[in-house]
Amino acid sequence: MSAVLQNLVNQPYKHGFVTEIESEIAPKGLNEETIRLISEKKNEPEWLLDFRLKAYQKWLTMSEPNWQNVHYSKIDFQSISYYAAPKPKKKLASMDEVDPELLRTFEKLGVPMHERAALAGVAVDVVFDSVSVATTYKEKLAEVGIIFCSISEAVQKHPELVKQYLGTVVPVGDNFFAALNSAVFTDGSFCYIPKGVKCPMDLSTYFRINTEGSGQFERTLVIAEEGASVSYLEGCTAPQFDTNQLHAAVVELIAMDNADIKYSTVQNWYAGDENGIGGIYNFVTKRGLAKGVNSRISWTQVETGSAITWKYPSCILRGDNSVGEFYSVALTNNLQQADTGTKMIHIGKNTRSTIISKGISAGKSNSSYRGLVRITPNAQNARNFSQCDSMLVGDQCGAHTFPYIQVHNNSAKVEHEASTSKIGEDQLFYFAQRGIDSEEAVSMIVNGFCKEVFQQLPMEFAVEATKLLSFKLEGSVG
Amino acid sequence: MNESKNIDYLTCLFKSLPAQSNSSTFQDTLPEDPQLWIKQLRAQAIDEAGQLKWPTNKDEEWRFTDISPLTRLPFKPAQAGYVPDLSEVRPFFIEEMVNRLVFVNGFFAPELSSITHENQLIIGNLDTLATSHAHVISAHLGQYAQFRQNLFTALNTAFLHDGAIIIAPRNTVVDQPIHLLFVATQAETTHYPRCLIVGDDNSQMTVVEDYVALQADKSSAYITNSVTELKLSANAQIQHIRLQRENLNAFHLANCAVSLDHASRYETISISLGAKISRYNLNVSLNAKAAECAIDGLALITDGQLADTHTCIDHVKPNCTSHQQHKCIVDNDAHAVFNGKIIVRPNAQKTNSSQSSRNLLLSNKAQIDTKPQLEIFADDVKCAHGATVGQLDKDEIFYLKSRGLSELAARNLLTYAFGAEILNNIPIPSLKHTLEQTVLNQTQSH
Repeated sequence: MSAVLQNLVNQPYKHGFVTEIESEIAPKGLNEETIRLISEKKNEPEWLLDFRLKAYQKWLTMSEPNWQNVHYSKIDFQSISYYAAPKPKKKLASMDEVDPELLRTFEKLGVPMHERAALAGVAVDVVFDSVSVATTYKEKLAEVGIIFCSISEAVQKHPELVKQYLGTVVPVGDNFFAALNSAVFTDGSFCYIPKGVKCPMDLSTYFRINTEGSGQFERTLVIAEEGASVSYLEGCTAPQFDTNQLHAAVVELIAMDNADIKYSTVQNWYAGDENGIGGIYNFVTKRGLAKGVNSRISWTQVETGSAITWKYPSCILRGDNSVGEFYSVALTNNLQQADTGTKMIHIGKNTRSTIISKGISAGKSNSSYRGLVRITPNAQNARNFSQCDSMLVGDQCGAHTFPYIQVHNNSAKVEHEASTSKIGEDQLFYFAQRGIDSEEAVSMIVNGFCKEVFQQLPMEFAVEATKLLSFKLEGSVG
Repeated sequence: MNESKNIDYLTCLFKSLPAQSNSSTFQDTLPEDPQLWIKQLRAQAIDEAGQLKWPTNKDEEWRFTDISPLTRLPFKPAQAGYVPDLSEVRPFFIEEMVNRLVFVNGFFAPELSSITHENQLIIGNLDTLATSHAHVISAHLGQYAQFRQNLFTALNTAFLHDGAIIIAPRNTVVDQPIHLLFVATQAETTHYPRCLIVGDDNSQMTVVEDYVALQADKSSAYITNSVTELKLSANAQIQHIRLQRENLNAFHLANCAVSLDHASRYETISISLGAKISRYNLNVSLNAKAAECAIDGLALITDGQLADTHTCIDHVKPNCTSHQQHKCIVDNDAHAVFNGKIIVRPNAQKTNSSQSSRNLLLSNKAQIDTKPQLEIFADDVKCAHGATVGQLDKDEIFYLKSRGLSELAARNLLTYAFGAEILNNIPIPSLKHTLEQTVLNQTQSH
């Protein structure tokens, strides 16, 4: 690699800064006290405290998983502060009342809230650390009966809905990090689309991790009632830190008869510096339950950040004729590690699933696709198509594929294909011949490689994702 | 299956190990080792086996294959002495093959074997050759099949007493294929077949490794725990055909380790038909530039059988090629498992590797677990893998019916065609014919 290219690879993280806002931080460590404290701070009902304590008891009996293809130093769960909230101020009625320091932070990140809200018609439920600060377009959504708010607010205002669905897709004892999340989650988003309602706009949340040393445990619950449809966007950036931050989120989606949920993520959290110091640990449990007939759940993700990404957005296709989709681009550079993929569990009849996964590894990074397609004995005429392609940029990175295919019904048709490639010298030569420099050529080739996934993203996200990938890969090819 | 029972089983097994055993009967059955190095190898294996645990479904490598039924069997090692009549074994002979080594329960049976010495080929059993060719055998035996972390290889090595040895010296082309026939005759025993095949520079040969059962009582259960080591030097070539046609109550656990040098070529076809539970581990290591391997496999199983194939193709050096095609035909409540791992090490540039796992489910109770796995650490490589699972195509059946074939005939023809793609590559006509008949017979049971 030439020196010029080297410089490009080592571009500093543009979104790294710490907002100086007074935070209210719980003492470090995890025990029943901490959980009671969180519950009390958030003024939660008794059943939710029980839910948390049950999860905590379960968590105590579990051990950290070690099967994944990532390496990190052991996490000391007792040195994490489990609650951090910006000092509560008076309730906010309009954007003008939001802390100007906060607004400036969003400005730097390129989240022009009022503009975006007005121009793009997107309601942004901004989660700053753990407490929702400002929500827009709520009234407009409320008109058609959609509930879109922070989960803490939902617990206060719609406890019956939260109680009915929370933990039904990802049970408290599902896995080590899901149990931890269930015990200590502080906030997140809640979205309820009533029967027959097509959500008039894309719903979007921005996650930011701000307070140094505080793990963030988000909880998201999206419910689409019969015939409802919703497109939910999630985008992430985080400031630069030296100590690793743990992020163990849980996302649950529930789709009833004929409902349709599309969940898109663009993730650009701090990945650590070129020596692998710092960066976010992103251990997420995402799962959708296609409960009703003809329901559809679609996951789209663009994963470019985090020191370690470890997530498998899954679909449980329980309803007959239900459809599950997974579109993913995972890009790793420097010492990043990603172990990501999906699970498609076919239970209902005539269920269909599609998996398109694109992994790009550069520098000394490692990316793995780990997927499961299971056709249960009663899933007649199930259909799956999986494609996972890897692209290697440089000779020190690694790409891995672990597809598990378990078929217990002979009427199923399952196909899996995978390939590995690199950016060829002749491809770059061809571009050069046409007057396109190698950097732009790489960006074009990579975007072409990921096209099938980007097509699934809503317009603005596709633009953002394209930019993000080009920026992340600048100079990795020499 | 509870943990304690597994441990008990292993403890008993270790008590019967040769080095620790006080049982005079067992000592008597073993010839005194002529060579110190064999004793040392065995001692190491015994130590290693003592530290390993019985694999359960919790181990990733054994996730889909539950071998706890093995622990319910007696574990008596097979005894030497019994040699069946030639007429009993003759049906298993392959007519084109004049070079034949027959092992009964893991012990060499010279009465049934026939060896025509051609060129400078060294062929025979370990017992006989261990003294005369100690130098060359000790340089290879136990060097490729690592018993570290592999309980069954460790146990096989611990019980090492006899085995098939084939060594083709430099520039030897062996015209006649060699048949290694392993016959199991004793019920409720474990036997430990062992093969060592070495091809020196520029040598060529064809070897058929064949596991069969010869029991009055077809329902008797036994364990075959076999280890095959294969080493090819520069430019050497081998065609290795492996047939597993044990009886339907047998347990077959096999490990095969292959080490390839510069520009050598390894071609293998493994056919798995028998055994209640079978497990075949094939590890191929491409240790020098321009080595090639072509690995084909077919598992044809029915009625409660479980066939598990684990392969690992390790591209250690640049410019190597590997192609793999594995097929399973699964009928009734049988269960097939395939795990194909391809590793491309750092610097193994210009690797070209392809793998396909194709599976045909003939019944709605049949099960398949397949996992084609890639681990790639080099960028300038061409690697692709694919997996499909499905049933017979309705349109294809309809087409054949429109041509006047019955439903049954159409199904059989399509199933046969699915398997024939693998069988067609078998270079020995009579063997190919026999296997084609087997596939037809098995599918005609509907």
